[in-house]
Amino acid sequence: MTFFTTIFTFLPDLPAIIIITPLLASLLAAASGLFNRKTPFLIAAAALFISFISSIILIMQVVETGIVIEYRMAGWAAPMGIVYIIDHLSALILLVITSAAFLNFISNRKNIETEFRNKEGAFNSLYLLFTSGLIGMTATGDAFNLYVLMEIASLSGYALIGLGSNRSPLATLNYLFLGTIGATFYLLGVGYLYIATGSLNIADIASIIPTMMNSSIILFAFIICMAGLLIKMAIFPLHGWLPNAYSDCSNVSAGLIAPLTTKVTIYIMIRICLTLFSPEYTFNYLKISEFMVWLAIITIFFGSLSALAQKDYKRMLCYIIIAEVGYMVGGFFLGNRIGISGAILHIVNDAAMTLALFMAAGIFLWKTGEDSRDSLKGMFGKMPFTMAGFTLAALSVVGVPPTCGFFSKWYLISGGIAAGQYMFVAALIFSSLVNAVLFFRILEIAHFEPFKEHNHDHVYHHSHNTLLHHHQDHHDEHYETTKHNGVVKEAPLEMLIPFIAVSIMLVILGLYSGTIVANIIDFVIPAAII
Amino acid sequence: MKTLGQITVLFCGGLLLFFTSDFPDFGDANSPASLHLSPYFIENTLKDTAVPNVVTAILADYRGYDTMFETTVILTAGLACFLLLRIPKREVKSRYYLHEPTGVTLRFEGDKYPQKSDVFKRIDSNWVPYDLIINFTCRLLIHFIQIFALYVVAHGHYSPGGGFQGGVVLGASVILFAISGNLRAAIKRFGEKTAALFSAAGVFIYAGTGALCMMIGEHFLNYNFLSPLLGTDRIMARSHGIFIVEIGVAVTVMAVMIWIYYNLSSAGKQDEGL
Repeated sequence: MTFFTTIFTFLPDLPAIIIITPLLASLLAAASGLFNRKTPFLIAAAALFISFISSIILIMQVVETGIVIEYRMAGWAAPMGIVYIIDHLSALILLVITSAAFLNFISNRKNIETEFRNKEGAFNSLYLLFTSGLIGMTATGDAFNLYVLMEIASLSGYALIGLGSNRSPLATLNYLFLGTIGATFYLLGVGYLYIATGSLNIADIASIIPTMMNSSIILFAFIICMAGLLIKMAIFPLHGWLPNAYSDCSNVSAGLIAPLTTKVTIYIMIRICLTLFSPEYTFNYLKISEFMVWLAIITIFFGSLSALAQKDYKRMLCYIIIAEVGYMVGGFFLGNRIGISGAILHIVNDAAMTLALFMAAGIFLWKTGEDSRDSLKGMFGKMPFTMAGFTLAALSVVGVPPTCGFFSKWYLISGGIAAGQYMFVAALIFSSLVNAVLFFRILEIAHFEPFKEHNHDHVYHHSHNTLLHHHQDHHDEHYETTKHNGVVKEAPLEMLIPFIAVSIMLVILGLYSGTIVANIIDFVIPAAII
Repeated sequence: MKTLGQITVLFCGGLLLFFTSDFPDFGDANSPASLHLSPYFIENTLKDTAVPNVVTAILADYRGYDTMFETTVILTAGLACFLLLRIPKREVKSRYYLHEPTGVTLRFEGDKYPQKSDVFKRIDSNWVPYDLIINFTCRLLIHFIQIFALYVVAHGHYSPGGGFQGGVVLGASVILFAISGNLRAAIKRFGEKTAALFSAAGVFIYAGTGALCMMIGEHFLNYNFLSPLLGTDRIMARSHGIFIVEIGVAVTVMAVMIWIYYNLSSAGKQDEGL
């Protein structure tokens, strides 16, 4: 480990590098896209890789030294200027964000080239901006800076999902309305906090709040911040925007946005409840835990039952995402150590699982050209490696050991029992059973039904209102593949390798979940919570 | 559903009103917002940054990192409009031409149009013949608008103003030119690629300055470390650093305004429009 410690001394600027590299690269990608169609991808991939490496170094540094890294932007100390705080929790989430963004990006080179023809510069640039927005939201120690970066992530997110099937502009418009309301609520909350405390720095506000527990301004700030975040994370009555927005958009964008947006929002909720308002305020003073857990229970039931009703694979995943939001919110508001550990662990695991499932969706769509469940007939014979990865992801969502989904669910269930929330435990088990039904139905179709002739290969290219004028060559190439029925024809390696890497990560995350909890998550939860 | 919406709105409005009761009085000198950080800024801004305008110093130096991302938000808006709206010209169905010797207007269909002809003049579909006064007035005004915009950018240190305001005024001058004449004339002078490049370049000036500080010295955007490059002392370097990033902001805001206008006014075709 001494090798890494020597790197650390040379790289004190890492908390800035991790976000500035994608930002600068997005500018270069946008500019170079005007002249060349290949360079934007290379620039973006290099920048995402640098961010990914930086986040690995940061988390090793934090875990090894146990010291919270503070980085002063523009050189000003905390309450005056903006600081970035890399502690155990933010380092963990940074690793999740950068790795997911990087893997999803490199696996989608061909899709970007065909779906966003002549707009590669703008698309890659927005992809990087979205990633840097999420990185900034995670690393920042300033409540207003968080809003600015939320704006970057939301705005680029709307653009990324606005270009997809014919229905995606309408879905995006709905998302834009609700997302803007959510972000505005958060901003209003920050404004109230500023009126009450005179500061925008999270640590500074946190030191002032205990002196004014009874202030109604603080109370309203909490309510409105949480309302904004609940809209953004799509919990039950506020979920309306999510299924359409995530299922109608292109696969590249879905693979980036679906695994990360809701999870980062939940991270921010945890950050606000634990760091900004103290656990004392959130759990003991306010007494909202019961209400939030019930909201989570309803979300889980609703998400699972709706997923059962979907015929379209991607829409089914969207409802599973909603149910998983319920897991994490409920687990956090159980208010005990095990429950919160489970919620944080599940942020990591769920991001990995959702990423794997959406990458699989991308591969299926590339192969068959349609989204429905029936299109997966005979996939095991055709694409054995893809289906192996998909099976791992499915088992993980269901919660079968040794995959990671089991371990976070275990923590959540133990937390629920410890808190006496038996309805939450029942909801978790019910949702796991529903997931089992959903995924075994797909696996059965894929295993036992014969492969279907897809003589309308790459239909989805036609349905996308992008600038496609060359689907002819793809069409021919694909016609070749489908003629030889029963022959193994995998996805191209550049799609397959990242997907297999993510699937294997699901098992590794599962096997090392004890280590993650002991070395990282235990340091996140304040000692006051037992 | 509608009544439910109204009830929710009324409820939220009621909550907002209810919780304002605890607010400090308007302009109260003893409110937390005036006591906690403001005194520091008022007392130390000139000492720290050599900028008399406290607002500019907070915007571009103390919280300069926020401002960089606010500029990026504007760039993101421009990119989003481009990504969602821009469609290629070949989807244009028809064009109008004026045959100047006879004054007859002709509608051409298909993809063969007169190129650089002496007798045919391209006109927009919503073309109106008499625009002499508008054209002339705008031509007179645009120069002054642009000079004023540069003044606003440069005087951000001393008076209300700065990159955002100056950039908007600059962008408005080009948009005024496009409105008074037509879109094609504006695109000929300030092309789409130029707009796109300038949009990215502005943020690049800002973030690049920050990265330069980081490479020479310690912190991202810490303008102190620009002093050897600028040939000034460390405090004055902050003032100059603020000016550099304000220019970056102005460039981005101007170019994005124009870029978005081109895409919106022509529904993404950039073939004709206002």
